[in-house]
Amino acid sequence: MKIVSVDRRQFIKVTSLSGAGLMIGILLPGIKSFAQNTPDCEFFQPNAFLRIDKKGDVTIFVARQEMGQGVNTSLPIIVADEMDADWKKVKVEIAPYGTLPEGSHDTGGSQSILLDYTQLRKAGAIAKAMLIAAAAAKWKIKPEQCAADNGSVVNTINMLTIPYAELVCEAAALPVPAEVSLKSPKDFKLIGKEQKKSNLKDILTGKAKYGIDIKIPGMVYASVERCPVLGGKLISVDDTEAKKVAGFIKLVTYEGTGSPMQVRPGVAVVATNYWSAMEARKLLKIKWDEGSKNKESTEQLFKNFEARATSAPAFEKYKKGDISKLKITSLNSIISNYSAPFLAHATMEPINFIAEVKGDKCELWGGLQLPDWTVGEIIKQFGFKKENIKVNLALIGGGFGRRLHFEFAIETINIAKQLDKPVKMICDRTDDIRFDNFRPANYHRMQASWDTNGKLQSWDHHLQTTSIAITHDPATKDPSENLGGAMEDFYYDVPNVHTGYTHQDFNITRGWLRSVEICVNVFPIECFVDEVALKLKKDPYQFRLSMLEGREMFKVGEGPGAMKQYPQRIADVLKLAAEKIGYDQPRMKNHFIGLATHSFIFAKSYAAHAIEIEILAPKKFRIKRVVAAIDCGLVINPDGLRNQMEGGIAFALQQALKGEITIQNSRVAEDGFSTYELLTYEEMPPVEIYTINSTEEPGGVGEVGLPTVAPALCNALAAAGYRPRTLPIRKEGFQWVV
Amino acid sequence: MASYSITVNNKKFTVDADPAMPLLWVLRDILDLTGTKYGCGVNDCGACTVLINGSARRSCQIAIASCVEQQITTVEGLSEDLTHPIQKAWEKVGVPQCGYCQSGQMMVLAGLLNKNKKPTEQQVNEVMSANLCRCGTYHRIRQAVHLAIEEINSTN
Ligand code: FES
Ligand code: FES
Repeated sequence: MKIVSVDRRQFIKVTSLSGAGLMIGILLPGIKSFAQNTPDCEFFQPNAFLRIDKKGDVTIFVARQEMGQGVNTSLPIIVADEMDADWKKVKVEIAPYGTLPEGSHDTGGSQSILLDYTQLRKAGAIAKAMLIAAAAAKWKIKPEQCAADNGSVVNTINMLTIPYAELVCEAAALPVPAEVSLKSPKDFKLIGKEQKKSNLKDILTGKAKYGIDIKIPGMVYASVERCPVLGGKLISVDDTEAKKVAGFIKLVTYEGTGSPMQVRPGVAVVATNYWSAMEARKLLKIKWDEGSKNKESTEQLFKNFEARATSAPAFEKYKKGDISKLKITSLNSIISNYSAPFLAHATMEPINFIAEVKGDKCELWGGLQLPDWTVGEIIKQFGFKKENIKVNLALIGGGFGRRLHFEFAIETINIAKQLDKPVKMICDRTDDIRFDNFRPANYHRMQASWDTNGKLQSWDHHLQTTSIAITHDPATKDPSENLGGAMEDFYYDVPNVHTGYTHQDFNITRGWLRSVEICVNVFPIECFVDEVALKLKKDPYQFRLSMLEGREMFKVGEGPGAMKQYPQRIADVLKLAAEKIGYDQPRMKNHFIGLATHSFIFAKSYAAHAIEIEILAPKKFRIKRVVAAIDCGLVINPDGLRNQMEGGIAFALQQALKGEITIQNSRVAEDGFSTYELLTYEEMPPVEIYTINSTEEPGGVGEVGLPTVAPALCNALAAAGYRPRTLPIRKEGFQWVV
Repeated sequence: MASYSITVNNKKFTVDADPAMPLLWVLRDILDLTGTKYGCGVNDCGACTVLINGSARRSCQIAIASCVEQQITTVEGLSEDLTHPIQKAWEKVGVPQCGYCQSGQMMVLAGLLNKNKKPTEQQVNEVMSANLCRCGTYHRIRQAVHLAIEEINSTN
């Protein structure tokens, strides 16, 4: 078994910057750990991904973490299709941690289908080949004279069939073939067909167990007071009153630790139940030394961004042509600044984790999007041997990148180390919001100039953020966050392009949030291109197409990690969205349409949005319709795709309209859903999702539905005579009604 | 600490708890009925919604002491086999993404339909808008709500 090893830091970079392109190349993982021929022939398990038992039930093990994005359905579809399983007999389980090569469980960057498509097909094909070989031996014919269909092997000579269930014993005794051939896509039976979520019934009957629902015998509960300022220290804690709460067991403290995951010093109340732990925590009297960085505010941060915007960027990211040679005046150019705030994940399942430490052994339960990195850091920090750490991965109640970070796992081990029982740490909603790893605040200075024919001649983008990479590694050489069109991936055909990046220090933990920098950068790019079009009195739709259509694919980056940018596919989704919303049709009075398009380059998917609004009064509007168009190559599960795109619209509208984390005195001001408001049922506009029919390799979809929503909305407002440049737009006084 | 006997999903339980302990934590931590979810604990999200005597109530806001002699229904009590019309509608539409908020979503609708089988669009909006879904399944929740209302009115 050969595993392409990927340096952990590289993965971080890959996840945040360029997708996990380098992760491809993991070969089909081990077989030898599975007893091929159990004495009573209970099951046949040719590899870590699937097992068939004597009843014919097929269990498919999903390595990637399910958190709502649907991998617990899309990935099994791929396996089941290739092995011609009967979908009704398929059961899905979380692949136990440790049964697969490193990296197999990593879940982020919309990479699951992209990374696993081929190896899951192989896993299914191997099973099928062995079942066929077993049947052929029984019938004394050649394997080539057999076929597989819906959970049975078919004898193509006499058309007799044997169900897989009856071949379990014989198949398990056969050697696993080194090579198998894969189906031709035209023979797919499950791929491309609608399937409901594999755990739908469990969810709807309350049986689905998320991390927060897991109970270990003897388990106790912890609620943690964390230092309000990052980098502070605990001076003292008085638990006299807290101790009186019924159920109180113990007070535990631990120190803060730094990168990659910043753990704040904590004071944990441990109790027999979570409510008692919360109640007792309220009665603690704690003194913190807040350190010297306790006066920072987002208000000041944005002033710093503004002040820095006109100077040269700290990092030059991309240069094409030479802008300095052009004649740029106030007559042939415009400059605009765009910005967006810190954002929280706010998953519905508040952050929680379970740990038990027994001597030199440690067992963990909970959701982790990067369990290998987590385990690696736990080894470094606590000194456990790798083989002494047992990880039990759990269903996640909303991920969006939150559990790529794992400071909560370290916190929970810090507590468990001081107990002789398993402990479940739960963040209350305020903790969950305040101690998140926030998507960076960002600020963009955009400048464009045009020639005498009204053609763009230059594009200049200076991006500033509070870098994520620096949170994880302060010594990082290049902390920039320019994907999404703010580097050489800029997709419009403009002869002179310059982009750069500047990081601004800020004392708050940053992290990856669904669509990360692609969302950050597509917003100003898609608004600004629209702004230029309107300034030139051109139609923003045609203006975009004129710089996309017919443009050849170009590479972004070099070597095996290079990505491909296809401007034509970016144009095609835009055209589909425009057509479906009726962009060329006459509009009703006070109705306006805005468009935006992009490529989610490392997920190999493309999406555009078209949004129609109605203006009701100055700065007051209603969203009438949202149309999304996506090209993600071959679609595995159309139902899952639509669900992601619909949800992406809600997620992105929250960011466009009202989502904002503000910092005062280095503390997060928002403390829950009443201050960090989510989109609501009645605020959800009518949505329509359209898909480009494609046979290209399947791309990711979890994040692709977000980046063009905010710019499409802002461009609709611009069509009505406004030009919002600050997210959320309510900061500029916009109001929306349902 | 005191002893309370409560009825959940037609079964009687006796629990020892602090009188102020919210029903949510009694269900989850003591009775192991984890289908009822913790989302905020402060009346902001609706993830913890259960039925008390048929009315939708937020279990994080109700002390166990006030639950005695009440009929409590959790998502586990809607039906175990997806036969309740609301579950059926949710299944048919394929509403959930992560699924975490969905028991609260179904329970709040159950409470509304217990009171009023033919709610107006405005009544539905008002009730459903108080329950949050971070995954943004609202488009499907809306379809499922209408399907459930149709179903409930056609079978009776
Ligand atoms: S947990 Fe009860 S309303 Fe949020
Ligand atoms: S389905 Fe995830 S929060 Fe509603």
